[in-house]
Amino acid sequence: MSLSLAVFYLLGVVCLGGAVGVVMSRNVVHAALLLLVSLMAVAGLYLLLLAEFLALVQVLIYGGAITIVVLFVIMLTRVQEFRAMRANPQWPLAIVTALGVFVLLAWAIINGAPNETARHSVAFRELGDSLFTKWAVPFEVASLVLLVALIGAIVIARERDAE
Amino acid sequence: MSLIHFQILSAALFSIGIYGVLARRNAVLVLLALELMLNAVNINLIAFAAYGEGAQATGQVIAIFVITVAAAEVGLAMAIILRLFRDRASVDVDEVDLMKW
Amino acid sequence: MLQAEPVANLGVQWAWLAPAICASAFFAIVILSRFLPKQVALLSPLAILAGFGVFWYVLNEFLSSGGGTFSVDWFTVGRNTFTLGIIVDELSVVMLGLVTFVALMVQVYSLGYMKDQEGSFSWYFAVHSLFAAAMLTLVLADNFLLMYIAWELVGACSYLLIGFWYHRRSAAEAAKKAFITTRIGDVGLLIGILLLFNETGTFDISTIIHVAENGGIGSGTLTAAVLLIFLGAMGKSAQFPLHVWLPDAMEGPTPVSALIHAATMVVAGVFLVARVFPLFVMSDTAMLVVAVIGLLTALITAAMALVMTDLKRVLAYSTISHLGFMMLALGSFGFTAAIFHLVAHAFAKALLFLGAGSIAHGTGDKRDIREMGGLWKRMPVTSISFGIGLLALGGIPPLSGFFSKDEILVAVLDGRGPLFFILTLVAAFMSALYMARLLFLVVLGNLKTENDHAHESPLVMTVPLMALAVLALGAGLLAPGLIPGYDGFGNWLFFEEPEAYHINFLVMTISVVLSIAGFGLGWALYSGKALSSERIRERFAGLHRVLVNKYYIDSLYQWGIDRVVMAFARFMALFDRIVVNDAGVNATGRSVLLSGWKLRYLETGKVYNYALGMAVGVVAVALIWWLALPYA
Repeated sequence: MSLSLAVFYLLGVVCLGGAVGVVMSRNVVHAALLLLVSLMAVAGLYLLLLAEFLALVQVLIYGGAITIVVLFVIMLTRVQEFRAMRANPQWPLAIVTALGVFVLLAWAIINGAPNETARHSVAFRELGDSLFTKWAVPFEVASLVLLVALIGAIVIARERDAE
Repeated sequence: MSLIHFQILSAALFSIGIYGVLARRNAVLVLLALELMLNAVNINLIAFAAYGEGAQATGQVIAIFVITVAAAEVGLAMAIILRLFRDRASVDVDEVDLMKW
Repeated sequence: MLQAEPVANLGVQWAWLAPAICASAFFAIVILSRFLPKQVALLSPLAILAGFGVFWYVLNEFLSSGGGTFSVDWFTVGRNTFTLGIIVDELSVVMLGLVTFVALMVQVYSLGYMKDQEGSFSWYFAVHSLFAAAMLTLVLADNFLLMYIAWELVGACSYLLIGFWYHRRSAAEAAKKAFITTRIGDVGLLIGILLLFNETGTFDISTIIHVAENGGIGSGTLTAAVLLIFLGAMGKSAQFPLHVWLPDAMEGPTPVSALIHAATMVVAGVFLVARVFPLFVMSDTAMLVVAVIGLLTALITAAMALVMTDLKRVLAYSTISHLGFMMLALGSFGFTAAIFHLVAHAFAKALLFLGAGSIAHGTGDKRDIREMGGLWKRMPVTSISFGIGLLALGGIPPLSGFFSKDEILVAVLDGRGPLFFILTLVAAFMSALYMARLLFLVVLGNLKTENDHAHESPLVMTVPLMALAVLALGAGLLAPGLIPGYDGFGNWLFFEEPEAYHINFLVMTISVVLSIAGFGLGWALYSGKALSSERIRERFAGLHRVLVNKYYIDSLYQWGIDRVVMAFARFMALFDRIVVNDAGVNATGRSVLLSGWKLRYLETGKVYNYALGMAVGVVAVALIWWLALPYA
């Protein structure tokens, strides 16, 4: 077992374990924090995939922005009773479906994916070039999406009598 | 460590995310599970970018866009959840059934 | 007789104006009745007067330049072109004159008679106009298609007019009965026409006759077609056993009975047989059938006329009986005799019906002859005219009826032999007898006290009576050739060979004797002097009951309808209700409701259920895509 493989397995366990915690935890805050853990593991995986920029972005956005937002909202929508907020009535079907999806995907992967073992790193400069030339329009659209989300969030969430 | 490893990991994360979306009761937790799914997709994309023939910037670029949209979506979703909570003092998705027959 | 020369510029071609003017009057009255309900009705008599004028013009032109056929193309279906056309020959000229004149008399009479009756004045005259248009088209038509359309239209007008007082249950039922009974005949007519079309490829009558005479139609088919056409004639002309509608048709206004059920519509059957007489003549079977049915009809209904007590009913049965005479004459190759009797009877019967209406008008709506008598004292004009009509149809010389009946007797003797002749004599005797019965019970005799107030009818009603009386008196003189330049009816209207008026002294004597004997017996029985009709009635009580109940034929028909037709109708109604309605229509609707009722549970309103649906759907599609599709 090479070093990278071991790291991979370690990061994988953390990631998946955190994910399981997110979907199974009874405590909302615990779930949010476990999400953070899982996503940081994902950042580590990005590093393993020689995508440094993405790893940075992952930590920044998810760890910095999204987790904060989520924690804020949890704070604002705190439910006093900790009654069984674990699962809704259809959870057996959900398990079956999730398993089904996994089996399907795994089968597709094993039958379809080319068995590559060589990793390439993408040059940072190349990433930037392609982002602003070939993917310029989607880039602009993405910024527009952010704008819309910003405005939308303000509109939806503002106080009613603050006209 | 090959492409398939990453892909299986991505599939597993995706499935866990699906379970979370379908089975959680707190709207915020549904959103967290949704983030898991998006990240699973990102792993897949970046894995393709890394393991494809020649240098592939496309995978990473798309991953960037996914992160962007996910962020926007989280913001908006949180706004909706806040509004929902303000109107009915609960974020239980089981109680949102006005469109019932 | 039938001249098929499509020559263009003859004056007679304008004969089509007669029905056209009447049809325009119908539409005009219907449209304008909203504005001038009473006055607009005058358009109808004016139109028929114009038609009568057209007749005189056509007659003039016909006598000077001759007749012909004229047609215009109507529409084309595939290889067949159908035309609208008229044929002007002796037969159609005679009918043209008869229909326009009698219709004119009846409509003028109606202006007085219908004035105080309930019902729409303008609609009455509108239908009269429509009827005139249809009847004139019928007699002028040169092809079966046009004639059949006019035939049906005439039946429809009859239905409308019989049921004019539709609020009365009996009138509505009578109209229905008339239409349905004649419909049975009409089916036969249609099939016969189609058979001929199948054989010859055309509806044109002259062409069909031409083809048949040259052997173009198989004899079996020809007999079948001709018999089916006769079935239609039986319906319209009330021959046994399709005669049951005519007595009930007396529910309609009396002028209607005079026009439609005495003089014009009911003779359409006789006219039809005459129009295609060359075809009939080619089939011995058909001729025999026509003669036998005619004779049976004449005998059976004459017997019933002897016992009926409603004045109009007696006249109705008398009409049927005389129609039987006409058919009998045709079946005995007596073409001229039949047509002459048609004309003479039309005048006299119309006169009698109008007279009956006048009597009703004057005595306060009396219908039962047992309540009448001695009316000549109070209603002289009506009584004299009525009496002339009775004598004419009873065969008293020198009135018209004598001449026509004489011709028929000669034709029967020559054409069918002694047995038919004797039976015809029996029927003729009976007709004299029932006419005498009416004479002595209604016109002559003592005035009953309750009729003391009876008064004569107004001029608008009596003038037509007088005009028709004159014709009933004098039309007989047209039979032999008494006018210079005119050789007699038989030399003018004939089939194959002109027939000079037959003077068979034996027949003539027998018929005169019988007529006088009939009137004598009538005087004896009904004026209460010698024999007593009550005692005869008691002695033949059984026979009397059968006759009064119309031989129970109506009951038989009703039984057939109840058992067979209604049972079938009930079955069909059941089928319609269960299969078509419940299983078909309702079930379709209810299944939609039911599926909706069950499917609504899919709409839980909970988003996570929908999300599950999406996920499951994706999995399913993926499975199908990867597993099943490669094998599809």
